[in-house]
Amino acid sequence: MLLEQLSGNLIQGVVLGAVYGMATMGLSLIFGVLKVVNVGHGAFVMVGAFVTLFFFSSLGLNPFIAIPAAFLVGILLGLAFYYAAIKKLLNAPELATLLATFSAGVLLEETVKMIFGSEYRGFNWDVGKVDLIVTALPMSKIFAALGSVAIALLLYVWFKRTRAGSAMRSVVEDSHGARVCGVNVDGVYAMSFALGIGLTVASGVLLTMFIPVGINPYMGGGYTLKAFVIAVLGGLSSPYGAFFGGLVFGLIENTSYTLFAFIPGVEPFSLTRFLSFLILLIILLIRPTGIIKAK
Amino acid sequence: MKFFSLKIILPAVLISIIPFISTFSAFAAGHGKIVIGHSACLSGKYAKAGEQAVGGIEACVDWVNNEYGGITLGGKKVPLKYKKYDCESKKESVTSLIGRLITVDKVDVVFAPYSSGLTLRGAPIAESHQMLYMDHGGANNKIFEQGFRYAVQTIGPATSYHKGTLDMVKKIAPDAKKVALAYEDSEFATMVMEGAKNHAEKLGFEIVFERTYPKGTTDLTPLLSAMKAAKPDFVLGGGHFEDGQLFNRQMADLNINVDCLSLIAAATLPAFSDALGHMAEGVMGPSHWEYGVTYSKEAAKEKGKQWIGPSQDEFVSLFKKATGDQKMLPDYHAAEAGAQVLAYVLAVEKTGSTDSDKVRAALGDLEFMSFYGSWDIDDSGLQVGHSMVDVQWQDGKRVIVWPESAQTGKPCYPMPTFDEKKDGKKALP
Amino acid sequence: MKNRLSPYYPLLPVFVAYFALFLVGRNVEGTWQLVATLLFYCALGQAFNIFLGMTGYVDFGYVAFLGVGTYGMAIAITGLANFPQLGLGIVAIGFVLAIIMATLLSTAVGAVALRLRGAYFAIATIGVNEGFRFLIEGANLWNGSSGMIFTAQLNEILGRDLASRVMTLWADILVLFIGALAAVVTLLYMKSKIGYALTALREDEDAAKVMGINVTKYKITAFITSASFAGTVGAAAWALKTPYVFPPEVFEIHYTIEAIIIVMLGGAGTLLGPLVGALIYGVSKYYLSIFLPGVQLFIFALVIIFVIVTFPEGVVGVIKRKTRNTAIGQYII
Repeated sequence: MLLEQLSGNLIQGVVLGAVYGMATMGLSLIFGVLKVVNVGHGAFVMVGAFVTLFFFSSLGLNPFIAIPAAFLVGILLGLAFYYAAIKKLLNAPELATLLATFSAGVLLEETVKMIFGSEYRGFNWDVGKVDLIVTALPMSKIFAALGSVAIALLLYVWFKRTRAGSAMRSVVEDSHGARVCGVNVDGVYAMSFALGIGLTVASGVLLTMFIPVGINPYMGGGYTLKAFVIAVLGGLSSPYGAFFGGLVFGLIENTSYTLFAFIPGVEPFSLTRFLSFLILLIILLIRPTGIIKAK
Repeated sequence: MKFFSLKIILPAVLISIIPFISTFSAFAAGHGKIVIGHSACLSGKYAKAGEQAVGGIEACVDWVNNEYGGITLGGKKVPLKYKKYDCESKKESVTSLIGRLITVDKVDVVFAPYSSGLTLRGAPIAESHQMLYMDHGGANNKIFEQGFRYAVQTIGPATSYHKGTLDMVKKIAPDAKKVALAYEDSEFATMVMEGAKNHAEKLGFEIVFERTYPKGTTDLTPLLSAMKAAKPDFVLGGGHFEDGQLFNRQMADLNINVDCLSLIAAATLPAFSDALGHMAEGVMGPSHWEYGVTYSKEAAKEKGKQWIGPSQDEFVSLFKKATGDQKMLPDYHAAEAGAQVLAYVLAVEKTGSTDSDKVRAALGDLEFMSFYGSWDIDDSGLQVGHSMVDVQWQDGKRVIVWPESAQTGKPCYPMPTFDEKKDGKKALP
Repeated sequence: MKNRLSPYYPLLPVFVAYFALFLVGRNVEGTWQLVATLLFYCALGQAFNIFLGMTGYVDFGYVAFLGVGTYGMAIAITGLANFPQLGLGIVAIGFVLAIIMATLLSTAVGAVALRLRGAYFAIATIGVNEGFRFLIEGANLWNGSSGMIFTAQLNEILGRDLASRVMTLWADILVLFIGALAAVVTLLYMKSKIGYALTALREDEDAAKVMGINVTKYKITAFITSASFAGTVGAAAWALKTPYVFPPEVFEIHYTIEAIIIVMLGGAGTLLGPLVGALIYGVSKYYLSIFLPGVQLFIFALVIIFVIVTFPEGVVGVIKRKTRNTAIGQYII
């Protein structure tokens, strides 16, 4: 019985983790290149959710088509925000960028609220279900996980095989050195920020495929905090690290519940959240470069 | 150099003084009208409920002035005014705005903001000014165990949310034994859970699962998997708007079929069925009020109770007029806030004064019925007269299935399985 | 001009401002609750400035210290409600407990998280705040998510009239004193070795280390001082002013953000900055909620981005720069 539950949760954890991982890659990319923590991360995820909702409910299109659209929306938002604020704050203390990205998140939330209202929305993309005996998985979740893996792979190839990708990697390694070697560092900053936001907004589509309900302007807060934990698991500055961090996180979240449930007098689900932040602290202390080695 | 700095400082000083001066000029509510003050939650985390409450209050104020002809006070008809500020769903703003309403705007009664926390935040200010403080959005029973003298509740207490559902199952399905409780880990939902648990034990149900999930969670899979293993006959749970849709959706994803599922707060909203489609079929939720309830002037007469206020349909059209949104329907947040206006009007007329002590005393004796249902408070101010209804989604429509005296349709029990629902089976009795 | 007291001149505008706030609140009808809110923001900013302003470290979980302070007072009042003869003594015990709890938590957090820098520190402190809240809820500490409501106990201990005055007046005056005391401590720190050490640290932590400054010691001192002030603010402005505590409310990250905005608007690391920032923030927020209900968050977000980009040193920072070497300059640091 317990084994059945645990193995079911394990499967669920892997599927969930893939999506979580993808949803954190943008955060890690931006931190890796610009050393800026995007505290408004969740709000960009929320924008992606609304893009999906618009494509599916208003236009009647497959959510997969919403991915490139959301990516594009993200690129544009990212560029606008980069040139309006971030560019001028790159040399300012952390305080400035933390507050600026947070405010950008609030701005997005309030704008979306004015346009769409604060109703909790959802949609139903029904493409069947797989019964795995120990647990059941709707195909939409599997598609979301596969989509996440595909995007992660695409990003990997792009990093390794294109000039822009290698320029970006060189800036992550050493921005001064890259500048000396003739890399257009400012251009790389703008591009990375836009790409990071693009990925984040696109991840909103995948998260919405995974959980197609509860879409509202303020849905992002929880994802911001989760993304921090996942990013730290993956070393904070590596997008692939973040992807694997997501997998680990999904597993922890899903399996620790079953174990905590044995302790009497506690609320096991809340403790799983405590555990994830505890892990965050421990990793930051003993190994700030993350537990996942990814090149 | 010195001159230059003065140039900066002087305007700065002036600007910072302006706000205090302008409070002098703020109009003081004089004679000839009665003013309701409200620190409403128009933005922030309770914006959804706050918007509803404001619409409900405006609708009833409109009715009092234009249909009822104003409040009869000292032989004259006095108009009712409504003064609201946005507290942003934040406690710091609640106290300063309630302070302003009482001392600057000189309102005659203060309506509390939404949620138990914010209601508690404002209460000491109202108490210290001996100002009547009416609570339409704070369901925590403990508010009324604190000895507030001027606090009065219109919303029903949290412990009563799932009583009706349990009564219903007990009556229509004597074989159902095993109940699972899964609520949000918040002050409100855990209090609902406590009430449900006590009532379930009293009725002799076996509680096979009893867990909470943290606020703001985005994945309930581990909890629901464990719940599935407990094999309950029916499930009670929920918390707020956020998690209800998720709860239902993920039960469908995991193919957990039970005879009855009742979720607080979320399941009664139109957005719930919009978001979930066929998965919402047969799902239930307790509500303080729902469109379709059968409270009417005639029903009040039968019970020998005083009736006041618009009929249900009038209320809906006044609400739409007030919000300027033809698509938005009032939910129970609107209804309870509106009913609170009516309670106040009756109490003022009864005592012939707007003095808070007298109105509070009158409210204590008051018992009436409106579109919202019965209204009666105990000595502490806790609402005891109002009973909740249970709503079920049947063929995409909300049907009131419990209590029997208020029902607009029979309950569908057991509800169809998720697979049946997917194939188009409706939850019809 | 130069005398023994001249280093303390900058306290003058601070005290004048607090006194003016007090006078306005007591004498202008209907402004006391507004003043109370402003005092809360002033104290919050002033306390946070001791750490954020002086070290440049961004503690994103600062509200946790207000939270444990609130719990400290709540525990004292609910735990000692059976001894009403202690009266105001219970409130005093509550403050002591609030300070102890905030100090303990900040020592623990400081000992570990202060080894991290920049964004890593910010993220770690968010983790502490959220983690602590989920620990309270998950392990059912102090009533878990149901929290504590203790107006009735406060009434019992102090009597209804005194309790009512504490909730609506004395709690706010206590907040005023906490704010003023935090300002005094800020100035004392600025004028002593710790201030110079922290300035060096803020400019370049590695260089400061090389120069032989024990940066860790000073960082932790500033951190603990700032946190214990936060604990008392929580005990007074939250637990005493509104005797209830629900975990999600006292660990609400928005308060940290508000504190950062206040310090930033006024000028991080200046003495007068938090006060000016709190007044600008509090007053504009109040009037936006009255005249433009529903859009204030949108407007604030725009204004904040604008302020960060155009004058990141804050209002007082600008004034300080413009008035350097003038007669006024000696009052503004």
